[in-house]
Amino acid sequence: MSNPPSDADRPLADQLSSRPPDEASGPGDTRGSSVDQDEFQNTDSRAQLQAEGRGEAQLDSSKTPEPAPDYSHLPPSDRDWNIAERKVAGLFFLAVLGVLGFLVTFFAVEQEFGQPGNVYFTPLLGIFMTMALGGVGAGTVLWAKLLMVDEEAVQERHPFGSDPDERAATAKALRQGIEDTGLPRRKLLRRSLMLGAGSLALLPLPFLGFLGRFQHKERVLATTSWREGVRLIRQNGTPVKLGDLQIGGVESVFPDVEHGTLKADSPALLIRMRPEDLQLPAEQQEWAYQGHVVYSSICTHLGCPVKLYEQQTHNLLCPCHQSIFKASTGATVIFGPAARALPQLAISVDDEGYFVAGGDFAESIGPSYWERG
Amino acid sequence: MRRTSTSRTRRSGYAVVLLALSVIGTLYTAVAGPSAATEEPASSQSMAIEEGRDFYLSGCSTCHGLDLTGGAGGPSLIGVGASSVIFQVESGRMPLSAGFQQAPRKDVRYTREQIDALAAYIQSNGGGLTLPEGDLTDGDLQLGGALFRTNCASCHNFAGSGGALTYGKYAPELEQASPRVIYSAMQSGPESMPRYGDNQLTELEKKSIVRYVRYISESEDVGGAGLGRYGPLTEGLVIWVVGITVLVLMTLWIGARA
Amino acid sequence: MSHLEKVTDTTAGWMDERLGAAGYVRKSLNKVFPDHWSFMLGEIALYSFIILLLTGTYLSFFYTPSLTEVVYDGSYIPLKGVTMSQAYESTLFISFDVRGGLIMRQIHHWAALLFLAAIVVHLLRVFFTGAFRKPRELNWVIGVLLLILGLLEGFAGYSLPDDLLSGTGARIFHGIILSVPVIGSWATFLIYGGEYPGTEFLDRLYALHIFVVPLAILGLITFHMLMIWYQKHTQFAGPGRTEDNVVGSRFFPAYAAKAGGFFFLVFAVLAALGGLAQINPIWMYGPYNASQVTAGSQPDWYIGFLDGSLRLMPNWELSALGYTVPFNVLLPTVIMPGVIFVAMMLYPWIEARRTGDRAYHNLLDRPRDVPVRTGIGAMSVAFYVILVIAGGNDVIASVFQVNVNTMTIAGRIALIVVPPLVYVITKRWCLALQHNDEELLHHGIESGTIRRLPSGEFVEETVPLPLVYQLSLGVAEPEPQDHHSPAPVGTGFEKKPALERAPDKDGFFRPRRSASNGSANGSSNGKANGKRPEAELPQLEKSGKDKPPS
Repeated sequence: MSNPPSDADRPLADQLSSRPPDEASGPGDTRGSSVDQDEFQNTDSRAQLQAEGRGEAQLDSSKTPEPAPDYSHLPPSDRDWNIAERKVAGLFFLAVLGVLGFLVTFFAVEQEFGQPGNVYFTPLLGIFMTMALGGVGAGTVLWAKLLMVDEEAVQERHPFGSDPDERAATAKALRQGIEDTGLPRRKLLRRSLMLGAGSLALLPLPFLGFLGRFQHKERVLATTSWREGVRLIRQNGTPVKLGDLQIGGVESVFPDVEHGTLKADSPALLIRMRPEDLQLPAEQQEWAYQGHVVYSSICTHLGCPVKLYEQQTHNLLCPCHQSIFKASTGATVIFGPAARALPQLAISVDDEGYFVAGGDFAESIGPSYWERG
Repeated sequence: MRRTSTSRTRRSGYAVVLLALSVIGTLYTAVAGPSAATEEPASSQSMAIEEGRDFYLSGCSTCHGLDLTGGAGGPSLIGVGASSVIFQVESGRMPLSAGFQQAPRKDVRYTREQIDALAAYIQSNGGGLTLPEGDLTDGDLQLGGALFRTNCASCHNFAGSGGALTYGKYAPELEQASPRVIYSAMQSGPESMPRYGDNQLTELEKKSIVRYVRYISESEDVGGAGLGRYGPLTEGLVIWVVGITVLVLMTLWIGARA
Repeated sequence: MSHLEKVTDTTAGWMDERLGAAGYVRKSLNKVFPDHWSFMLGEIALYSFIILLLTGTYLSFFYTPSLTEVVYDGSYIPLKGVTMSQAYESTLFISFDVRGGLIMRQIHHWAALLFLAAIVVHLLRVFFTGAFRKPRELNWVIGVLLLILGLLEGFAGYSLPDDLLSGTGARIFHGIILSVPVIGSWATFLIYGGEYPGTEFLDRLYALHIFVVPLAILGLITFHMLMIWYQKHTQFAGPGRTEDNVVGSRFFPAYAAKAGGFFFLVFAVLAALGGLAQINPIWMYGPYNASQVTAGSQPDWYIGFLDGSLRLMPNWELSALGYTVPFNVLLPTVIMPGVIFVAMMLYPWIEARRTGDRAYHNLLDRPRDVPVRTGIGAMSVAFYVILVIAGGNDVIASVFQVNVNTMTIAGRIALIVVPPLVYVITKRWCLALQHNDEELLHHGIESGTIRRLPSGEFVEETVPLPLVYQLSLGVAEPEPQDHHSPAPVGTGFEKKPALERAPDKDGFFRPRRSASNGSANGSSNGKANGKRPEAELPQLEKSGKDKPPS
């Protein structure tokens, strides 16, 4: 709503004669109540009418039907109309160009990765699709704005409530229906129905249980694939030997068991630091080996792999929620949302000089859960 | 649908590409190619060491001491090896301006020959790690990718765009890093970065990682602008700043009655 | 008889003989929809959803939801020969070997981001204008349900490609379910088909993503739209616009053309994004492996608030009697969103209870006229935005070279301090804007014309604010007080038409002067409607209904 437009400023659509008022209303009527006398009013540029003090007259007169619209008085040669039409048509033609461009791109431009020009394939498709879709879209909107009859219409609303009698009758019908079933009176029927229908709820339970394969969740969650004497291997399967890591080195290690590198609960981080830097809790000191220490790399917060090791500060950072663990003091939490230290894996070196695990982790790895204790 | 591979369709494809270049040119940030590594014939070793000593005395000795034993703010350089020198100087981190928690990457102050001379001088004092001869990107691309995701992505991000470390430290982005800098970083483990000795990542494996990093840094994004390769964060920003904004402007246009 | 006439008559006749729908169709064609740009925000979400269905169907022709290991042999060179899941392999196939597959994927993903962004913007519009009030509370609840389903659907889609990022997301989701007391570990086994990662997670997620959740969304959207159709759209106050009518365009043709055109415009914007802005480059993330992770692991933006709340949460965990309750996960990702979504759904009734307002409302509030609600909304937005920023704090820290720990601590403080502050500021701001409106209404607009009075005094003439503006300032046209109960006072929720605004309790806003018009006398009972002097509201007053109270 802005300043009352003068006749010249008014959009072409507004200059069209109005459509006849319609006594119709929305689907509110379908309820069959007595509100069929819905009204439409044509409020062609009401602001202007108000400014001229004609608002009342206009609105009152709007209740009487006006003659059917007569589009024939519009001379086809009218310059404004033609310009408007051309603008809209131009946008529609743009869409045709877009589709053509799209087709040419789709069939002629190189897509295969690494081939010259392939990086233009998707952007070109996007540009031409945008032209095609945008042409049709903008054209249609412009058509509606410039060329369609779109005077402001007014429609009545209907109050939603039905009248009290109607409501009472409905409630009564409902009540009557329930009584007709006999349920309120027949106790045995009622109780057996509740029992029978209720027992149906048990049917899906075995199906649900099968989704989880009925596993012993505590045992599965509390253990990993690490066992005593299992070698520490790299992602590529080679075992890690004492001396492979330099001081300040770090290696992702996995248990040397079948599919060891794919086990989601077993990834661990082997870190080597100066032995004097290691200040492990007393009961964990045995688990390290000559400055080498292994922690579960599954974050005790939500299970992301903790692998960001800063060799100067011995900080371990989880990239998901920024928990920080101190690798030199037993991977204790020094910042962030994780509540527990990363479990440490006991390691030693076998006869051939390869690192082996001293057993499984002493506690559950990864995120906390109810039965964890 | 498989690609049509006749040369004619390919040529017409290029024609379309050329036509549209002007349209989409602005949407692309040109990925700068690596500065062509100029191979200089090796000057005699002793001359290089002499030259390097001069550079050292004028540019480095204030902090690291006239006899390389360290001094005001600089650590001893005896035994750090040529590799460290190349990492620090070729990435512009040295000479360091004071006051940084972590040495930032800067414009390189020395030419390739000067860096090599400096490295030779440091190497001649106590030895240390050196870079292997030959092309440092001479590795296996796919192996490099797998190793990169195992060892590097957790700090430097999936595309080498860098990431945050603890308490204000950061893993730098890798797009600007030259092959020598990447290799020497793995070898020498500068600052927070762990070291990857040759028993841990073999020379081939390191070269493969270098190749992968350079490959993804130089490869253009196939799906349009890469949005910094930071992942979903910038995508979310785009849908709000571009998507929602443009569409709200459209609703203003559509909703406006003349 | 013109040709057009023949066609329309024949069609109408054919249909009516079979369906008897002529009357209904005519009413529908003439149905009036109010024009306002903000009423089209929900349409963006609707169209995004349609585009999601279209593109998603195409993607489903190629995607395989399987964790079976295969060796890649497609055209993306850096992954050739790499072992990966079929899910990831088929997504790479779509991206590099299906012609135009990449743009399909990208449009699909952008549309998902837009779908949720549009829902949020639409929700804010509905909230701040009070469109959720009686009789539209049910539609508000459906809207909130759609938002929740949208989050679920988005997350499921994000997890399908089985790339490094989505796998990390699936693992975090696993940890979240695991944190639920008593049933947590049991539930993860049901969802993942055993110990994480299991073998069936993707199949189940896929069934949810392409069938169950979209069907639920489609059903709720249908109901959402039917309700709008049946109850008619709300509208802002303005000339001729009352509680009892709708002023705007007829459905056919103008409104339908604009809405249809807008669909193509939304599609065009998504096509532009899909072609020109790369999204979710899974080939760079690499295949998922439980031991790998990328720096800056992020969810899509709409899950960002949960990730942020996880990051800001202190590390509280309770272990007692052999059981563990990880509050550091449970509180930010289960309890907090649970409370927020329940509170959102109940908000219409909470507000109605607080104000005692049981009236029908078809006219929208201007946010400034209901300072408390606007304050609550702004406060919630602030809370949400802080969480989203915290969800990206590592990337922000790395790009802008800030300390990520400082960002986390700042986020914790901000989460507690900023929302109340925003509430107070917004409320004050609303009152100031009301004050401003009051000035305009009383003094009018300065005309720039200086007039000399007979006494020799110079005065500047002011022009009364045009009626059009008065009406949209919330000066209500008089209307029968039938089912619209007088607005209660003192709760801060009530809408206060500028002329009958009560003196503010804080003394911040008071009626400027009891000038010539008597309606600025601070009357607070809201019953002054219709008593406005002629000078203020000419003519139009009687244009309303003479309808008797029903």
